Amino acid sequence: MNTLPHLMTIFDRLKRGYHLGPDDQPEFSALASPRFEEYFNYFAAIGFTLVRHERQFFYFEPENPETIPDTLPRIAVLSYIMIDHASNQGRSIEEFVFGQNFLITALPHFAFDRYKALLRQVDVYDTNDLRAVLHRMEQIGWVKIKGLGDDEFRFLRPFHRVFSKCLELSAADSKRVDEPQAVPVESGEHQTKE
Amino acid sequence: MKVNPQTFFTFCANHAPLLRALAEPGGEISEAEAMRLIRANPYAEELPETAWKRLCDLQILVLNEAHSDLFFMAEPLSRLLTYLFNEGNPATPEIIGGYVLSLETTGKQLARALDDEDVQKVKLAFDEISQTLRRIYADLNETQNAILVEVGRYKTERARVSVREKYRLIVHWMERYVEPMVEIVRADRPMRAVFDETERLLHRAREEALFNDYPVLVRNIRFLRLVGDHALRVFTQCRKEIQPLYESLRRSSFIAEGAARALEKLQTEGRLRWVNEHMIGVAVWRYQNVPGDAAIVHALRRVFEHPPEPPPVLEFAAEKDDPVALRRLLWLESLPELVRPDLPVDDLMRWLVARYSERSTSDVLAGFSGLVFHSEFRAAFTNQTPRAYTTIDGEITGSPLALASK
Repeated sequence: MNTLPHLMTIFDRLKRGYHLGPDDQPEFSALASPRFEEYFNYFAAIGFTLVRHERQFFYFEPENPETIPDTLPRIAVLSYIMIDHASNQGRSIEEFVFGQNFLITALPHFAFDRYKALLRQVDVYDTNDLRAVLHRMEQIGWVKIKGLGDDEFRFLRPFHRVFSKCLELSAADSKRVDEPQAVPVESGEHQTKE
Repeated sequence: MKVNPQTFFTFCANHAPLLRALAEPGGEISEAEAMRLIRANPYAEELPETAWKRLCDLQILVLNEAHSDLFFMAEPLSRLLTYLFNEGNPATPEIIGGYVLSLETTGKQLARALDDEDVQKVKLAFDEISQTLRRIYADLNETQNAILVEVGRYKTERARVSVREKYRLIVHWMERYVEPMVEIVRADRPMRAVFDETERLLHRAREEALFNDYPVLVRNIRFLRLVGDHALRVFTQCRKEIQPLYESLRRSSFIAEGAARALEKLQTEGRLRWVNEHMIGVAVWRYQNVPGDAAIVHALRRVFEHPPEPPPVLEFAAEKDDPVALRRLLWLESLPELVRPDLPVDDLMRWLVARYSERSTSDVLAGFSGLVFHSEFRAAFTNQTPRAYTTIDGEITGSPLALASK
């Protein structure tokens, strides 16, 4: 157990809500190795559930906090708007989101009154607020800002958590209206076996 | 009115872009719209009015119905253009099903003709079978072509069509054409059975010497097999072409739907009710009752800056006498019993000072208070002039207080 590689840095990042994706080396490779189960058991013993998402990235399962940080609803709204906008672009949403870099100033979030009204509900009023939300998203490993051009960013693989949430919401809605259509829900269930 | 083929084809050759543009809408077209297309696809110095007149004269555009001002492209030309431009209209499963039914009916007619040994009817049935097979073959090819063109168009054009709209269209193609068609042409389905029966009848016609045109017989049998295999291959290929696009769009469509629902709920229900269900949770390391850096620094500073003093020395040897405090306590507790024989006492302070002159002022006052408030005694101040009582370490001034039993 004590010899698990990069244990300290992995724990240090995951405990802050960070999602470890392929860009995060060598921690990602350590978790993606056949020793995943050992990491899983190690963290389980100290009360953390290590999740391996089916799109291959890792994170700690969140608790149900009594107080929700303000940034999480903001991240959710920003992400949903991004997807809503992507769905109107005529390409696969995932291809649209992951296939390009975005300029913060060119985002659709303040281009439409409907989006502006939604953002106001979570106290995001201008591009600077948007920038702060994106900064938080970088801290949890969902986007990359540093190292790119001015005001430029790109979405990282762990953004799949938003897609999973969308599929979950869509499935719940289908169930509610009793549609027989099966929604392809994907979950981030932890896998303890390769 | 017969049209001169040479004039017709010369006009078509010179106006190919215009013909394609006219065929594009696929339905009725008004004169105004036709004129607009003529102007957009001009030929040399020809006037638009001239082009319009020739389109009508050559029966390229025909009136939809009498007294109507809408036109449509003549069906034979429309099919020719479809063929020339490698496009096509998909055959519906009902059309193919109709052909299969027609083949089945012709097969029954052929069987009856064979039973009746009616050579003429056998020949007619052969021709009809041959014609039906050609139509099936042509329609299958056209359908495949149409599907592939549509898939290609999804991938390259229609960039601004929303994902959900695309998904609905591709689902329409899948559900309207591909899946039902695969069901019809599968090896264990009616088409195969009809084809097998037709082939058996063709062989029987040959064996019973009622149809002696061997090349036509061979051609029909070969075509029968070819169409059967081709149909299955065509729709399996179509399904393979559409399936990845279908899957991808299906997923995208559901993702888009989820996001749209989340935003809609936020709009209608407001943030408070929305958050728990729609937020994406992230692990947060929560600190509880943990001192901050400043507190730790402050504590360390207090340790460092504490003035040095010798450590306390503990007396481990057994004490010879009772501790002072204990002896004082025992004395205070014994006072009620000591005063009781002398009661009533007219001046309690004088009694204490006289009996216990070695006690400090503090001890005397503590003893005095204990007796004044004791539950078995009654204390009363007198109106006498205040007196001074001298103790070992001081002096107490006060009016005498009398103490008696209750």
